[in-house]
Amino acid sequence: MRSAECGVRNKLRVTKTGLLCVMLLLCAAGSGHAADDAVQKAMKAYEKHRYEEGARDLRQTLSSLPQNKQSAAQLALGMLYLKNAELHQGLFHSSVVVNADYLNRLARERGSSRSKYSDLYLGLTLLESGKPENAAAPLEKFLAGTAEKKHKAFAAIGLGMVEHHAGNKQKAQDAWNAVQSSDQDVKTELAFAWSRAVAADKNAPALCDEVLAAGRKSGAAPSIIAVKNCLGVYAAAGLMDKGMDLLQRGDLKSHAYRESAGRSKVISFYDVQLLASLAKFYLAAATASLEHAAADAQLRSIANYYLSEASVLEGSADQAAKAATAFLASPQAPPQYKNRAMVRQGLVQYQKGKKADAIGLWDELTRNQPNDPELLADVLFACGRLSIECPRPAQTAASAVERGEGKRFAVANIGLGRYYVGRKDYARALTYLETGRDKGNKNKIEFNDPLMLVDLAEAYYRTKKYSEALEIYFEMSKQFPQVRQLQEALQGIYSMEHKSAGDVKIN
Amino acid sequence: MKRILMMLLAVLVIATAVHAGPKKDGRPDGGSLSYGEYGRPATLDPVTSNEMISLRLTELIFNGLVGINEKQEIVPELAERWEISKDGRTYTFYLRKNVTWHAKEGEQPKPFTADDVVFTYNIMMHPKTITPLKVRYEFISSVEKVDDSAVRFSLKRPILNALAKFSFKVIPKHGPANKDYLTRDDPFVQHPIGTGPYMLKNVTSEREIVLAANESYFKGRAHINQFSAKPFADQNIMTQALMFNAIDMIVLVNPRDIPEIEGDKRFVLKSYNALSYSFFGYNMRNPLLADKNVRKAFTHAVNRQEMLDSFFNGRGTIISGPFAPGSWAYNLDVQPLAFDPQKAAALLQEAGYTKAGDGFLQKDGKRLAFSLKVPIEKESEAVKRVVLAFKNYLKNVGADIKVEFKEWQAWKEDVFLEHDFDIVFASWVFDDSADISSLFHTGEIGAWKNNFIGYSNPEVDGLINESKLTLDHEKKRTINRKLHAILAEENPYTYLWTLTNFAAYRDKVRRVAIHPYKFFSFADEWFMEGK
Repeated sequence: MRSAECGVRNKLRVTKTGLLCVMLLLCAAGSGHAADDAVQKAMKAYEKHRYEEGARDLRQTLSSLPQNKQSAAQLALGMLYLKNAELHQGLFHSSVVVNADYLNRLARERGSSRSKYSDLYLGLTLLESGKPENAAAPLEKFLAGTAEKKHKAFAAIGLGMVEHHAGNKQKAQDAWNAVQSSDQDVKTELAFAWSRAVAADKNAPALCDEVLAAGRKSGAAPSIIAVKNCLGVYAAAGLMDKGMDLLQRGDLKSHAYRESAGRSKVISFYDVQLLASLAKFYLAAATASLEHAAADAQLRSIANYYLSEASVLEGSADQAAKAATAFLASPQAPPQYKNRAMVRQGLVQYQKGKKADAIGLWDELTRNQPNDPELLADVLFACGRLSIECPRPAQTAASAVERGEGKRFAVANIGLGRYYVGRKDYARALTYLETGRDKGNKNKIEFNDPLMLVDLAEAYYRTKKYSEALEIYFEMSKQFPQVRQLQEALQGIYSMEHKSAGDVKIN
Repeated sequence: MKRILMMLLAVLVIATAVHAGPKKDGRPDGGSLSYGEYGRPATLDPVTSNEMISLRLTELIFNGLVGINEKQEIVPELAERWEISKDGRTYTFYLRKNVTWHAKEGEQPKPFTADDVVFTYNIMMHPKTITPLKVRYEFISSVEKVDDSAVRFSLKRPILNALAKFSFKVIPKHGPANKDYLTRDDPFVQHPIGTGPYMLKNVTSEREIVLAANESYFKGRAHINQFSAKPFADQNIMTQALMFNAIDMIVLVNPRDIPEIEGDKRFVLKSYNALSYSFFGYNMRNPLLADKNVRKAFTHAVNRQEMLDSFFNGRGTIISGPFAPGSWAYNLDVQPLAFDPQKAAALLQEAGYTKAGDGFLQKDGKRLAFSLKVPIEKESEAVKRVVLAFKNYLKNVGADIKVEFKEWQAWKEDVFLEHDFDIVFASWVFDDSADISSLFHTGEIGAWKNNFIGYSNPEVDGLINESKLTLDHEKKRTINRKLHAILAEENPYTYLWTLTNFAAYRDKVRRVAIHPYKFFSFADEWFMEGK
């Protein structure tokens, strides 16, 4: 019955239709009107891209929901967390790019009012850039200068992380063991380092518990450094409740450090790792909720679908393949989702080295359904994620959007845009993403997928249309205050880069 | 050879090939493009104008020594290269030798030379010249002609981004009738002569301004034969004119019309981010409005989000201070004042106002009553609603507002020249530099200057001065954040919103790149499909 209802809506956009199917499944899984309301409200929030709000509200009502509604609520929670994880991965990626550019410029400056802390935060940013070895020089430079002890400890821990990434586990541990500090932020920084290094002899969550309990006693809100670190620690340990509590209490737009460098010069520094911690935490929360939902036979199929996506985000190709296969084998699998699951299978195949198979699969899907904008977008997004060339889907989609009428093809434009972001062809990406964006509601997240907006902002940034990127983040910050770190860094670059005469006109 | 402090910097500029005549890019020439404007500009020259309508036209008619390309790089325009001294205080520009001024009727075109550059600077800075530009060029101490094709500027001090400031438009020495200073009475301001891709052809009886391609343009003749600016008093009519093919382009689409245009495949909607915002500005010369509490009360009394949602379908962003949210200078820590009529009432009470028999507030026998002047070009349905809503919001807290719609020129004279107003509704548009000094510095109070509200605050003046002197970007940012916080607290304006900016044009117009501020900077590259 449910599949049939989904099938009736076959001609609608798959995303919307898929969501409707999920909602039908959720409503059918048990009974109870109040519970339906809570889950439906959460799904409305999902549709409006208000992930944090939706998850927070549903989580608050979770304990009051009847037992037979728990699985449905967990599935909805899992979907919300998963989207939030994906969004924060995107934000993290962009933040590393923008902050590294900004901090590099600051670090290159000379003179008496030069910022000292730009070295520290440049080092911490480079640690997350995929080339951690580049972090050593600025961190060492910072350590060699004069600065507060606490921040020197951060640099020392960062240098330990450089060793850890280089495979020098012992050197890393020696570096961390050498850090002796009673500072609460330093303790959490160490806890996170131990957690990332999976040090069996260290109880990172206990360290975080201790620091946060002390803060709670004094009535102070947790520092953003503690939030960043302990969120990462709790995510790794699967301590979701503790992480949720921390998220409620933290101010995610806070700077990590504010430096006064000379008269009338104040610079705020942010740790890009906050966004990675958020992404990891939401991903862990998504996985936990989806596994809970998958225990319910009625929801197992759809939960597997999302679990496979969670595994892709986590980088677990085998897990992703397993979950996708389970989903595709299920007679309950909503047909609208099958294409997407197959696209994802291709992505997993590619990650496992079966590149030709993956490309072949995507080409075949494209050949069979050349006018399905959702499918084309999915394929292109997979290619974009892998930063690989997919000529056939790209050409097919380009022809489809040229022929296509109206908003139905917006998703294909977005797919093309995200594909070209992956290919680093930002000018072309801009053309497609701008076409796909809801123009009347330009940067409003209720009308535009925030992940698309993050890609669009990056394309604007790369093409030096800074004010456009800033406007996107300005809108996003209303729902996601943690984008402040992107806003501040981008403002900094914009102030250095703009080439204008100082004109103003009345209108 | 290597003389004292002189050094060549940034001169590895590949001089653009000289090719007056057609462009050699394979794109077709021909066609004409008419675009809708919000009114007729007061002047068509780049010196005396202070409005966006003129700016867009002067971008087509004139050139600067340098320009800025789509990649935000400074590129040669009338200067083919330049040298900057090591101490950053001397800028020498070497001019193109093949540039001519648009020919006056019946005359041969005259060559562009260093004399024109010197003349432009001198006339711009003359005390009697009516221009908002002076404040931007105070950093220059002198200009001298080196020879016919070279000119040297000496700076009082090195400043940030100095090279970009030499993008000011150059006017011909033989242009203005008065060779010393330029006023709005000079025939030149209505019949400008430039070096740009388009030259003024005529102004029709319907006040349409027609420009024709300059066949001798030094970057190659523009592709489109003719540009014409058609004035519209009402935004809704302008959209209808586009829909019914009476015009080819709208430079700024009314946010309410976006869905209608978006759904029509004949048109392209192109986003561009002009750093702009709308505001109600308060005349500080009125002692009632000189009271900070009164201004703050007015801001609390107005429900900006409701107005934005109701009149512009929510297509914009409420702002908290004197910068647009897309600007690098916007202080993200400052939040817009909340809509709070109770607080507004309390502030007015604190300022000494009590309710009179007619329901309006009064103090020392004076009613809390003001005129609100709105230019008639803004008399679109949405703007009418905004000002009437403002009137009602203020009525709710006891202030009596009389709305006066004035013809654009008369409005500008009342506001910029006579300062005869209490409250105005207007919008500012900024380039990337987010320079608010001309809006709020005490030195910018005066006839035809931008600080028409007469705002004066020594702390703000000091910060603006410090900002101009610094060579440190981060320091400038810090200062601007402070300015934002102070000017948000002081409420010389009730800052409203920045609206979504879209241009709309027929899909036959191709290769359209829009400069977010000047709009037509790259229009010589546009072409018409099928021509």
